[in-house]
Amino acid sequence: MSYIEVNNLRKTFTVRKKREKGKLFREKEIVSALAGISFVVEKGELVGYIGPNGAGKSTTVKILSGILTPESGEAKVGGMIPWKDRKDYVKHIGVVFGQRSQLWWDVPIVDSYSLLKDIYRIPEKDYKSRMDELVEALQLEKLLRTPLRLLSLGQKMRAELCGSLLHRPDILFLDEPTIGLDAVSKLALRDFLKWENKEHGTTIMLTTHDMEDIAALCSRVMVLGHGQKLFDGHLKDLLERFDTVRTVTVKYNTDEPKLNLPEKVQVERSDGEIKITYSPSEIPTANMLALLQDAGTISEMTLESENIDHLIAAMYKEMDL
Amino acid sequence: MRAYLSVFRMRLKMELQYRGAMIGGIVCQMFFGIVLVALYHALYESKAQAMPIEQVSTYVWLQQAFFRMMVATDPDLNDKIKNGSISYDLCRPVNMYTFYYIRVAAQKLMGSLMRGIPMMIVAFLLPKGWGITLPSSGGGLMSGLIALSLGLICMCALENITIAFTMRTLDPRGMQSLLNLLMVTLSGNLLPLTLFPDSWQKVITMLPYAQLLDAPIRLYSGEYMVSEAPLILLRQSGWAAVLILIGVGLWEMNRKKMIIQGG
Repeated sequence: MSYIEVNNLRKTFTVRKKREKGKLFREKEIVSALAGISFVVEKGELVGYIGPNGAGKSTTVKILSGILTPESGEAKVGGMIPWKDRKDYVKHIGVVFGQRSQLWWDVPIVDSYSLLKDIYRIPEKDYKSRMDELVEALQLEKLLRTPLRLLSLGQKMRAELCGSLLHRPDILFLDEPTIGLDAVSKLALRDFLKWENKEHGTTIMLTTHDMEDIAALCSRVMVLGHGQKLFDGHLKDLLERFDTVRTVTVKYNTDEPKLNLPEKVQVERSDGEIKITYSPSEIPTANMLALLQDAGTISEMTLESENIDHLIAAMYKEMDL
Repeated sequence: MRAYLSVFRMRLKMELQYRGAMIGGIVCQMFFGIVLVALYHALYESKAQAMPIEQVSTYVWLQQAFFRMMVATDPDLNDKIKNGSISYDLCRPVNMYTFYYIRVAAQKLMGSLMRGIPMMIVAFLLPKGWGITLPSSGGGLMSGLIALSLGLICMCALENITIAFTMRTLDPRGMQSLLNLLMVTLSGNLLPLTLFPDSWQKVITMLPYAQLLDAPIRLYSGEYMVSEAPLILLRQSGWAAVLILIGVGLWEMNRKKMIIQGG
């Protein structure tokens, strides 16, 4: 049996709109947040969950963390139904909601941690060793005695992560953990999540809009749109399907290189630089490079694939999201 | 159990952080106390009432001293409900109602002690008829203290009912101002319940709001005999049980239907 099993999960929300002029009643709209999602996740996996805003990512996380009841469908995590066995179930999970906070605003964060220690009944010895480990990994040493309100966004996120992992959960759900963080904090956060996953075998499921997060962390990615699962597999496979364009920029030592390129290729010249855009499915990259080399002595060359965000945008467009 | 004790301690600590609010609260309540007592003096000059002025002024001061216990909501909790951080509390292996009940209790207890004790000391020092008189008897003091604890229990249960409604409306203001109006009127904060017409008092003293501060104050000042105390304490306990049951029911209903909105 897999660790997480989700089968045909559905959830709809009723959105009441402001009454239009001349109408007697408000209009109600039924929004389907999840329209029958199924997937399995094995223990120790690091899964990325992406999709445009409103795709149902957070809804899935809320259901799996036991705070939202779905309309129909089944979900089992570690043999328990999150929304039915809430009190027993939540002992085994850690959650980080990127936009919200679990630590107390006006008191030093270490006090919030000792409250969590009591809530989860973590034995003193265990708490100490886990704290030491997390404080070092997340570089919280200097922040422990500081009230939460004085921390920067990056520091806050590190503090939140520590809070969510104190009780050594088997699984960690992260809902947009890198939102609003600077480059250094993002990198540190990713390193930490990788470390936690490797060191303790914690299963991690994260939603994000930052494709770099997925590329750096996740072996597996699920794409969600309009409440349905559109893709489930390796990030590389996903990108290959939409990675249609490459760009080569070359500079020649000779002034007039004799380029002999097929018609389908786009060529732009400026300042002695030649920018060539082609699709590898029509001309394999090896053939392209051979053609370029035949034209003259190359002094400089760069080969780029399209920006990952563009690919995802193209994918969302093709999937009609 | 440890979790609940811990959240109690934590909320006490947090309340201690707001010393500025405490001083502001004391000044404000002192002002109200003096103005109200002066008002009753003026009224008594033209026509003395059945209740002696010393008792009225004791009543007013004790009401003001424990004002914080009645009309105080936890802004942190309301924010949590509004911005959805309450979702974290839902992910904890604790009983939600108890967890929040304890949190509210800590705030009310600490908040009212921090304000009430300095105020009572000052009020004791005021001249006779303007401040607080000593308790009618040792038994009156004892039963008054027990009644005050029961009042606090009722108070926290009422607050939790308000929170349960806030979870539905997301904004505490409407429900709170409605309930606060009932509270200040029917608890005797605005006008001592002892000054209401006797026929009204028969009903008002039975209501839950009279159990909060009115009952303990009357036991303290000897208006209720010590021999009446068991009956009054029983009435308070009854209301505490009813209010807690209503709260638990509302929370349970909320838990099933609750939706944390937004991504």
